[in-house]
Amino acid sequence: MTGPGPPDAELVARALEQDRFAVAQLVSLFEDRRPTAMERRARVLEAAEVHPRRHSATVFGITGTPGCGKSTLLSRVVPDLLAFREELTVAILAVDPSSTISGGALLGDRTRMKLEHDEPRLFFRSQASDTQLGGLSPSTFRVCRLLSRLFDCVFVETVGVGQSEDDVRSVADKTFLVLQPHGGDEVQFLKAGIMETPDAFVLNKCDDPSTERGYHQLRSSLWLARPFDADEVPIFKTSAKTGVGVAELVASLAAHLAAEPSRRPERRDALFLERWVREEWGRAGSRFLEVLGGAEHHVRVSGGVERAQVQFELRFREG
Amino acid sequence: MTMDERPPHLIFDKENKATRDPAWIFRTYAGHSSARASNELYRANLSKGQTGLSIAFDLPTQCGYDSDDSIARPEVGKVGVPINSLDDFHVLFDEIPIEKMNTSMTINGTAMWMLSLYVALARERGIDTTLLSGTTQNDLIKEYLARGTYIFPPEASLRIIAEMYEFCIDSMPSWNASNICSYHLQEAAATPAQELSFALVNAIGLLDLLKERGRFNDEDFERAVGRISFFVNAGIRFVEEMCKMRAFSELWEEITRDRYQVKNRKFRLFRYGVQVNSLGLTESQPENNAWRILIEALGVTLSRSARCRALQLPAWNEALSLPRPWDQQWSLRLQQILAYETDLLEYPDLFDGSLVIQSKVEDLKRQARREIEVILGMGGVKAAIESGYMKSALVRSMSARMKAINTGEQLVVGMNKWTEGIPSPLLSGADGGIFKVDPQATRGALGSLERTRKNRDPYRAKRALDALQEAARSGANMMEPSIECALARVTTGEWARALRQVFGEYRPATGVDGQKLGLENDRVDLLRGRIDALVQRLGHRPRLVVGKPGLDGHSNGAEVIAVSARHVGFDVIYSGIRLSPDEIVLSAVEENADVIGASVLSGSHLELADQIMAGLRSHGAEQRVQVVFGGIIPPTDFAQLYAAGVKAVFTPSDFGLVEIMEAIVGLIERAPA
Repeated sequence: MTGPGPPDAELVARALEQDRFAVAQLVSLFEDRRPTAMERRARVLEAAEVHPRRHSATVFGITGTPGCGKSTLLSRVVPDLLAFREELTVAILAVDPSSTISGGALLGDRTRMKLEHDEPRLFFRSQASDTQLGGLSPSTFRVCRLLSRLFDCVFVETVGVGQSEDDVRSVADKTFLVLQPHGGDEVQFLKAGIMETPDAFVLNKCDDPSTERGYHQLRSSLWLARPFDADEVPIFKTSAKTGVGVAELVASLAAHLAAEPSRRPERRDALFLERWVREEWGRAGSRFLEVLGGAEHHVRVSGGVERAQVQFELRFREG
Repeated sequence: MTMDERPPHLIFDKENKATRDPAWIFRTYAGHSSARASNELYRANLSKGQTGLSIAFDLPTQCGYDSDDSIARPEVGKVGVPINSLDDFHVLFDEIPIEKMNTSMTINGTAMWMLSLYVALARERGIDTTLLSGTTQNDLIKEYLARGTYIFPPEASLRIIAEMYEFCIDSMPSWNASNICSYHLQEAAATPAQELSFALVNAIGLLDLLKERGRFNDEDFERAVGRISFFVNAGIRFVEEMCKMRAFSELWEEITRDRYQVKNRKFRLFRYGVQVNSLGLTESQPENNAWRILIEALGVTLSRSARCRALQLPAWNEALSLPRPWDQQWSLRLQQILAYETDLLEYPDLFDGSLVIQSKVEDLKRQARREIEVILGMGGVKAAIESGYMKSALVRSMSARMKAINTGEQLVVGMNKWTEGIPSPLLSGADGGIFKVDPQATRGALGSLERTRKNRDPYRAKRALDALQEAARSGANMMEPSIECALARVTTGEWARALRQVFGEYRPATGVDGQKLGLENDRVDLLRGRIDALVQRLGHRPRLVVGKPGLDGHSNGAEVIAVSARHVGFDVIYSGIRLSPDEIVLSAVEENADVIGASVLSGSHLELADQIMAGLRSHGAEQRVQVVFGGIIPPTDFAQLYAAGVKAVFTPSDFGLVEIMEAIVGLIERAPA
């Protein structure tokens, strides 16, 4: 334990009771880039693992171009979801781009998430994407790992363009791509291969009848992009303005929450490690990870992602 | 004397006798604490020779909240009078003959409600409403752009304005249902061409809407055009300002004649009232503002063909606090001397025939026409609001102005030049030269609200509110249902809530993009270096929550701070205006912020500081989060703010953005790790 403030185990206990300042301080620890933070993080996760109130959250990724109405849509969906089940707890992690010049960022999504009353079951945190343009920063993965152990349901909201689409998949159990009916985004996304990955699509801003055309365009581009899908990919038609289609989307999210988590946190940790190894050490690293018994095994025997990273680095350098 | 024999330097009346123009209407923007206290102030002002009333409402009244609402409490009676129901109007206008009064109300989001209260007051007094004259400001476009006391989204707001015109045309033919305001655009640093063009496209938008709704026949429509009046600003560049007013008159003549085919010349006249510029008034050496106000008053009175109909002057100490009665009296005396002691009103227009003036006017008109075309081309004023075009144009002008002052390119006496001087004896009185609202005085508002709720017929109030919502849904005119609400002692908060439920509430774009601050210099690089060092030391980029607590909507200052902070390397959480202290605290707690920067211009800083500190304590975050305040805060309050736990206070005299950033970074550097 370093620095002043309450011991980590106490922070974890308080965070599991939805003390939002405790959660906030832990999130900062998981964003901390100093090497010293790694050891503390491992202990926090251990404390969370053994805690009787331990959760295993479903993580939803919400992506879409700027201005497609992700935040406004979430602000309609989340209150309904909270009303759905009395004890449900929700965390939102909203990622905004940083300035490449100063490194600073303007994080403004909270405005739209304005709820009628203070809701202690909801935790909202903004995060700057750092130098990763529009995508997820390494700390997004770490913070997600934390939040998924403290809350029942986690939303990661991000400007999903280019590669980050893939990133979101590796933190989230289900990803939703939000589109505008006449955005013309489909074509761009089709080219970039982005249509291939999301689990569902949300056609937002469906305020007028002309949106039918957008729906059919999306359907046919999906057919082109994903000819081998067994089931039809769900497309939700919503309007955050009028509330149209919100109930259907909420019901679908609630069904995911009720089902067994499709990915255990261990699996997400493994995905994170795989991705980290690939970025840091390339193909050679990936092959070495297989030698070690695969990502999931290596995380388990090392006792968590942080330790697995240290171990991996050590063993890989050794040869 | 025949026409030919008339000397051109005289004015003649209908009997062909040389005469003198009547003076414009003298007003003082006033109101505070309670209906009773404001009534006493109005009657005192009228007895001193003021000739019209200008009502300042407090922010809860402007934003549609009752005085006992939790978001309202710190603001009650601060910047104006709290009005909760018709009972308060009876007190506010006690012993004032409203049928003989010209009453201007600075009210927008709740304009229809205030007009309904005024009509209800007349009905209960047995006064014919056609005798009432005055203005409800009711310009929501500039609220979205600059002032911030809107409630409903644009479509509903425009409908309300239109319905008020439709009601007034027969029931209150001498009432200006709205006022096209360019005043606030100049306060947001609009250039003269922007002021002209934005105000005129605003008026065009309104007239197009009235025409489109089709409730008026041609003759009524012409009369409605004649009811359009303007509320204009006058700045320190007073020759240009005078030319701007002439350009306004000439362009308005063009528009009403060519675009709307108004035949009657009377209905094409450009009618306007003025409040002279407050933006340029300085906190340092505030006594200099007296001269600025005088010069600005000349800009709107010198030229007879572009002279204002009504004039209200700020007080010399407005950058320090709300004015005291004496400060307002001093400004009123200026008007009286100008109108009655000088020979100004004895002459026809002094500038007709001046080549210089004519050329300058033509130049302004050319620029304005070009901008008007651009905006009409993109779909008119509503489209230009919704796309953020006008807002970002204003934000750019504000940035340019601040840059010019920062670099000394624009000289402001006593502020960035000749800053040494003898301290003003005007500030050395027992009250420090500023006005304090007596916190006890607002209690009266709460008491009268309680009495109103207790004494009214609850069934009549409920029926009236139901009928109001029914009209709102069906598209019927809401004036009569609102008047019935007034008579039934419905409260301001209830009226607004009923309509919020139908129309929803407007949340604007924050307008923080695209600002250029002129901060590219060595000191910014140094700051970025210090912030990078902090990132290494703390393990995170310093996080700043910029908050605008309370109801005051002047967001430009907060936005400039937010953008500057990102520019030097902060992660900034900015959530827009009208937040409760609890919401700001929750942002800081959940975001694990290092600093909260709260911007307050309404005078409620002491209450808000207490609420924010208490909120942080309730989360156990008072050691972690440091709080700084900015805004119009008198130095005499600094000690109390520091005692409450506020770490730094920035006022308009700290105009250097870099200095403010340096101070905040310093606070974080010194905080215990």
